[in-house]
Amino acid sequence: MFRPASRCAALLYLLLALRAGAEQATLPRVVSLNPSLTEILLALDARPALVGVDDYSARASSEVAGLPRVGGLFDPSLEAIVALEPDVVALVPSAEQRDLRARLEALGIEVLVLENHTLPQLLASIEALGARVGRAAPARERVAAIRRALADAERAAQRRPRVRAVLVLQRDPLFLVGRGSYLDALLTAAGADNLAAEFPDAYPRVDLEWVIAAAPALILDASEDPEPAMTHWRRWPSLPAVATGRVVPLVAAEVTLPGPHLERALAILARAVAGE
Amino acid sequence: MRTLTPARLAAWLAVFAAGLCAVLLVGVAAGPSGLALRDVLDVLREERAATAAHDIVFGVRLPRVALGALVGAALATAGALFQALLRNPLADPFVLGVSGGAAVGGIAALSFGAALGLGYGAVPPAAFAGAVLTTVALQAVAGVAGRVSPTHLLLTGVVFNAFASAAIVFLASMAGLQEGARIFVWLIGSLSSARPELIASVALFLVAGLVCALPAARQLNLLALGEESAQQLGVDVTRLQRLLLLATSLMVGAAVSVAGLVGFVGLIIPHLLRLLLGPDHRLLLPTAALGGAAFLVLCDTAARTLFGGRELPVGAITALAGGPLFLWLLRRQQQRAFAP
Repeated sequence: MFRPASRCAALLYLLLALRAGAEQATLPRVVSLNPSLTEILLALDARPALVGVDDYSARASSEVAGLPRVGGLFDPSLEAIVALEPDVVALVPSAEQRDLRARLEALGIEVLVLENHTLPQLLASIEALGARVGRAAPARERVAAIRRALADAERAAQRRPRVRAVLVLQRDPLFLVGRGSYLDALLTAAGADNLAAEFPDAYPRVDLEWVIAAAPALILDASEDPEPAMTHWRRWPSLPAVATGRVVPLVAAEVTLPGPHLERALAILARAVAGE
Repeated sequence: MRTLTPARLAAWLAVFAAGLCAVLLVGVAAGPSGLALRDVLDVLREERAATAAHDIVFGVRLPRVALGALVGAALATAGALFQALLRNPLADPFVLGVSGGAAVGGIAALSFGAALGLGYGAVPPAAFAGAVLTTVALQAVAGVAGRVSPTHLLLTGVVFNAFASAAIVFLASMAGLQEGARIFVWLIGSLSSARPELIASVALFLVAGLVCALPAARQLNLLALGEESAQQLGVDVTRLQRLLLLATSLMVGAAVSVAGLVGFVGLIIPHLLRLLLGPDHRLLLPTAALGGAAFLVLCDTAARTLFGGRELPVGAITALAGGPLFLWLLRRQQQRAFAP
């Protein structure tokens, strides 16, 4: 004879197992047209749902390298997508993909449009994508983990003086992280004053002279240029970051992909800002 | 038309040189950081290393202004040479496909250089090789028995340019995201890569090109009478064509390799100067070099300063300024031609 508590537990387990089974059985066929969305699906353990990806996703992740490819971010092949008979096509809206969305919808294919530029958008996209592929609970857990990491980082940062910093995405031409992007939010949470937040665009192209005049105490360089970061920035020795040796090279794939593991990017940024 | 006396030549050269010096000063004095002119002059007068003002003047503005002047001079001189060689006012390095060839070389290096472990340092030599190879190919395809017909050369250039554009689109679509962004900026043309170490090599090619081109000015004047007349007056047309195509590919290759496809300088500056000074190449070629330098430095100063710390690619400014200016010139020329 089962005791009532054990019976409840068994029932709960059965319900959960049935629900998981149902989710597995009804997995939609998904084509992802953006590496950020592909990473989110993989993190939510939804790899079985993926039936096709864009070229950049295939290059970025070995887990999906074997999947059919449907073209680049800006020139996906409508025919290749349709041939995969997807239930849903997930994309990040851009001028190029607006037309594609209309054509897919005209063919009766569901299109999931997910923004990933700001932090709230990215978190909402993780939840929306999770809900659509039957991974609502893991998606909620992922978002909660990111929120916890952000709160922890903010608390830790309050104990330190804030650091005047720039985050370099590309050196020539010089692109920085400006105001409003999820990277701006991560930098701020990590305890940095993002100097380029004075520019209204998310990723402004900036004059080198502005950087020298802004005098950042920390240069985070995610450009992955073959020339080492310090060798490059040492050309302008008045930069406080150069004078104090605080030029930190970052691996772009670990920091600049608006993906599902933002707490990892946040940890890297927080370590760099804290000077660890 | 007034004859060109040594005094007139010297006077105009002095005027243009003074104008260029003034523009260079403006370029060094202006920037988004709002550094006061007094600070700039202080920095120029005395060595104050490791201050922001020093880094801004010596590490950013001077290399940038110098590179702008060299690229502008190279493009405008090459434009004047192409127009003279082909006896066609529409000819410039872009129309003829030499810039396109340089761009294919540079973009191929951008796309595959990283994969081959070459880094971005491979871009300038690859672009330069692209320009030289294009010139050689143009001569080989358009030439018969050593002679190159201007019409054939122009048509071959137009077709080659279209081919180069297609190759660029193909390479850009194969490239990664970051390379794609670089290619985009490169296609518009930008001087943001200005580093002191680049300047010496561009200067070397510009000087080599000018050394080939300037002594040929008198022969170019004769060529304007037509190939046969020039031949009868003692000009070795085939040799002249070869020499000057080599000179232009040296200059265009060097310019495109560091600045990408900066348009309109090669078209508009020689036109403007021909209207102002007449068609004598002994005056036109050196003033094109000085005027092209000043024009590009002015445009780049605008690109650096118009929007605060945000930077525009200078190619966008030259096209925005050059397009309407060219149309206005064309209209004025037409009105003069048909004036009662």
